[in-house]
Amino acid sequence: MSEFSVIGGSVARPDMPGKVTGRAQYAGDLALPGMLHAKTKRSTVAHARIKRIDASRARAYPGVKAVLTHLDVPRVLHYGSPHPRSASCTKDQYILDSKVRYWGESVAVVAAVSEEIAEEALDLIEVEYEELPAALSVEQALASGAPRIHDLRADNLVVDPVTVRRGDVEKGFAEADLVIEGTYRMGRPTPAYMEPNVCVSQWSEGRLTMWISTQTPFMVRGILAEVLGLPLTKVRVLVDHMGGGFGAKQDLFQSEFLCALLAQQTGRPVRMEYTRKETFLGGRSRHPGTVWLKQGFRKDGTLTARQARVVFNSGAYGSHAPGVTAVGTAALTSLYRCENVLLEGQAVYTNTPIAGAYRGYGVVQTYYALDIQMDEAAGRTFSQPAELKLKNAVREGDLAPSAHPIVGHGLESCIRRGMQEVDWPRKKAPSTGGIRRGWGMGCEMHGSSAYPGIKEQGNATVRMNDDGTAQLFTGATGLGTGAHTALAQIVAEEMGLRFEDVSVVAGDTDVVPWDIGAFASHTTYMGGRAAQMAAAEVKKQMLVIAAEALEAAAADLEVRQGVISVKGSDRRLSVRDAVLPKKGLPTAQLIASATYTPTKSYSFAAHFVEVQVDTETGQIDVLQVVPVHELGKVIHPVAAAGQIEGGIQQGIGHTLTEDYITDPVTGRSLNAGFVDYKMPLSMDMPPIRTIMLETAPDPGGPYGAKGVGEDPIIAIGPAIANAVYDAIGVRFRHYPITPEDVLNGLRAKRA
Amino acid sequence: MKVSLTLNGEPRQIEVEPYRSLLDMLRNEAGLTGTKKGCDVGDCGACTVLVDGKPLNSCLMLGVEAQGCEVLTIEGIQPAPDRLHPLQESFMRLGGAQCGFCTPGMIMMALALLEENPHPTEDEIRFGIAGNICRCTGYTRIVEAIQACVKK
Repeated sequence: MSEFSVIGGSVARPDMPGKVTGRAQYAGDLALPGMLHAKTKRSTVAHARIKRIDASRARAYPGVKAVLTHLDVPRVLHYGSPHPRSASCTKDQYILDSKVRYWGESVAVVAAVSEEIAEEALDLIEVEYEELPAALSVEQALASGAPRIHDLRADNLVVDPVTVRRGDVEKGFAEADLVIEGTYRMGRPTPAYMEPNVCVSQWSEGRLTMWISTQTPFMVRGILAEVLGLPLTKVRVLVDHMGGGFGAKQDLFQSEFLCALLAQQTGRPVRMEYTRKETFLGGRSRHPGTVWLKQGFRKDGTLTARQARVVFNSGAYGSHAPGVTAVGTAALTSLYRCENVLLEGQAVYTNTPIAGAYRGYGVVQTYYALDIQMDEAAGRTFSQPAELKLKNAVREGDLAPSAHPIVGHGLESCIRRGMQEVDWPRKKAPSTGGIRRGWGMGCEMHGSSAYPGIKEQGNATVRMNDDGTAQLFTGATGLGTGAHTALAQIVAEEMGLRFEDVSVVAGDTDVVPWDIGAFASHTTYMGGRAAQMAAAEVKKQMLVIAAEALEAAAADLEVRQGVISVKGSDRRLSVRDAVLPKKGLPTAQLIASATYTPTKSYSFAAHFVEVQVDTETGQIDVLQVVPVHELGKVIHPVAAAGQIEGGIQQGIGHTLTEDYITDPVTGRSLNAGFVDYKMPLSMDMPPIRTIMLETAPDPGGPYGAKGVGEDPIIAIGPAIANAVYDAIGVRFRHYPITPEDVLNGLRAKRA
Repeated sequence: MKVSLTLNGEPRQIEVEPYRSLLDMLRNEAGLTGTKKGCDVGDCGACTVLVDGKPLNSCLMLGVEAQGCEVLTIEGIQPAPDRLHPLQESFMRLGGAQCGFCTPGMIMMALALLEENPHPTEDEIRFGIAGNICRCTGYTRIVEAIQACVKK
C-alpha cells in the first residue's frame, strides 16, 4: 500500500463538471437586473496632454447613463498591482489622468443601457490632445533630452537599477581560458488568456460588491478601498471560475475603479468587459528586453565568472517592473553555479503598452540568454551542451537567487533523466531536400513564492462538519490550474479522509481568510502547506473525540480513507461515527486556522527538443518535446502535467511567433488580435512526453511539493533556439525567431 | 425582432435586436452562458455552436439568421440531466480542460468532427480543432480526450 492514499493520484477535479457542461460561472456570465454596460475610449496618440475633453454630447445620447473622464474621477496616485508592503510594484497610476502615456490608454468611460449604445457614445466624446514627443523604445527613453514620461522620474527609469554581486568577477575573468559574450534580445509576448478581463460592480447601502476575473481578489479589495476611500468592510470581491490569467491578472486595469465609480454614480449594476483587442491595449505583456551576458570558462568547462546587464522595457507604467527586474536579474546568479557574479538590472519607461507580470516573471528572458550562451560555450570548450550544463548545474547547498541554500540535486536529476530518455547526444537525422533537423536542450529553475521580494503568507481554515466531511476555506483563486483540487487532496490526505469528503470554499473576500493571490507558482506550495497545517490541527481535535469512543490513546490512532483504527488492533470507527452528534451531546465544533510564512523552494527542469527547419521557407517546426521536471512531490499528476504542457505551448509561441508590436513611429498597436498575434494552435503543437521527478522534495512545501506553474515556459525557449542551431548552424540570440530571420541567417552564413 | 428556432431540442421564440450576434442572443436573451465570448470576431472558436448540425462561430452570425434553424449549444448535449456526453466525460477524465473557457466550444467542435468523421486520425482531429484556441493545455490532452471517444 502506498504511503499516501489521496495525493499523487489524479482524482476527479470538482471544477470539471461545470466546465464541460457550460454551467461553470465566470464573472462575465453574470447578469443583474437593471445592469448597465460600460465601454472605454482609448487614446489615439502615444504621448500627450489632454488639452480639452468634452463628453457633453455623449452624456446627452439616449441610453447613456454616465460618462467619466479624468475631470470626473478622484485623483489618487496608486499602485498598478498592489502587493502589500512589496518592493515588486510601482505607484505611478491614476484612475484616469490628464496625460496619456501610450497609444490605447483609457481616457474616458461610458455606461449605457446596452454595449452598442455605450460604444456609439464613445465616438461622441471629443478629445483634443497636445502631443508630446514620445519615447517608443528603450534607446529613445534613455537618450539625453528624452521626453519625460512620468513626473516622478526625470531619467525614465522605473526604479533605481538593481545590482547583484557575488565573489570577484574580475578575478573570475582573469582565471578564465575562454570568455564569451553576447547580447540577447527579447520580443513582447502577451499571456492571451482566453477569458477577456471583466468585472461587474454593484453598490448597496454604501457597500461595493465586485465580481471579477482576478488572481488577487484581496489585492483588488484593498486597492479599491484605498483609492475610493472606503473601509475594507465596505468592499466585497467575488471570484468564481476564471478563464486563465497566467500572471497578468494580478494587476488592476483601471477598469475596476471605473466600473465601480460608474455603478456608484448611476445607482445601477455596471458590467465592463474588455474586447479581445482591449486585452492587448489595456492588458499586460511580458517585458521586452535585452540581456548583455559575458561568461568565463576554464578549459574543462568550469565557469569562473558571469557578468550581465539586463534592461527591461516596462512600457508606459511600472506595474511589476521592479519585481520582474529583481527576479529576472537575480536568477542569473544561479542555474549554472558560478562563484563570481556581477549583475545589473534596470527597467525603463517607454510610451508603449504596459508590461507586467507574466508566467516566468523576468526569468524567461534572462535564462533564454544564459542557456543559449551555455550552448555556445559548449561548442567552444569541446563538450556536449548537456555535459557542460550538467558539470555546472546547481547542486544541493549552492546559494539560490533568493540567497537560500538549494535543497537537493534537482537540476542534475532532470538533465540526467532527459539524456537517458532521448538517448543524448542525439545523432542528427539525415537531411532531406531543404529540410534540416536538430536537437537542443534548455534548463531552468524557478522559485515557488515571491520571497524575498514579498514576505508572503498562506492562510487556511479547515472545519469538520458533524457528518465527518470537511471544508477548506481558502483565499486562493482557481485560475484553471486545478489548485483547489490539489488543496483539497492535501486536506484529505492530512486528515485521513476520502477526497470526496473534502470541499473547498473560495472566492469571497467576506468569507475566506486573507490571501495574497494566486501567483509565483506558490498556491500548492504555500496555500497547500497552510491547508495541511490547519487540517492537522482539526485531525488532532477529531482524534481526541475518537480516542474516547475507542477507549484508546489518541496517539495510538490512525486515520485512512475516513476510517479511524487503533494501531495494532482491529478496533475501528468511521470518522463520521466519531463526530456524529450523540443524543444529549451538542455537535463538536472542529475548526482550525493556520498561517504559513514561507521562504522559497526551487523547482527544476530540463527540456529536450527536436526541431525541423525548412531552409527554403525558413519555417521552424517543433517535432517533439521531452520535458523533465523536478517537483518535489506531485499532488495531482494530470493537473501538474497539464501545467507543463500548457507552459510549453506558450513558450513555443514566444520563441517562434508571438510578438505584440507597435508602430516604431506612432506607437500605434499593430497586431492586437488573434489573427495577427500568432499563437501555436492544435496543428502547431508537437507531441510532448512529460516526465515528472520527485528527487528533491522541499521541507517547506506540503509533503515536499513545490510549484510548477511557471517553470515550463522558461526552459523551452532556449531548448528550441539551441535545436535550431544544431539543425542549421545559425545561432539566434533573440526571440521570436521568425522564418525571415532564418532565411537571413542562412544567407549570412553562406556569405 | 422575434426569432423562432429550435434551441437544444426545444422550440423557442426569442426577442432580439436585429444587430445582435447569435452568441449575444444565446448568452443574453436565452440565458445560455455556457457558450463563451473569447474574441467576438471569429478568431478563437470559444463560441462554437452547431447550427443545423454544422459547427460555426456564433459571434459571426446574427441572431435573426437563426430563424427556423436548429441550434445546439453545450447545454444541450447531455443525454439526460444526470448523465454526461462521452466527450464531456473524457475531457474531464483526461485533463482536456483547465481553465475551461475554451472547453464548451472545443467540445461542440469535437462533436461535429466525430459526427462527420467517426474515425478521425490524430492529424484529422488536430485539423478539426485548428480554429479553437486553447491557451492552457498545449492541446495534447484535448486530442487524447477526443481520441478516447472515437468508436472502436
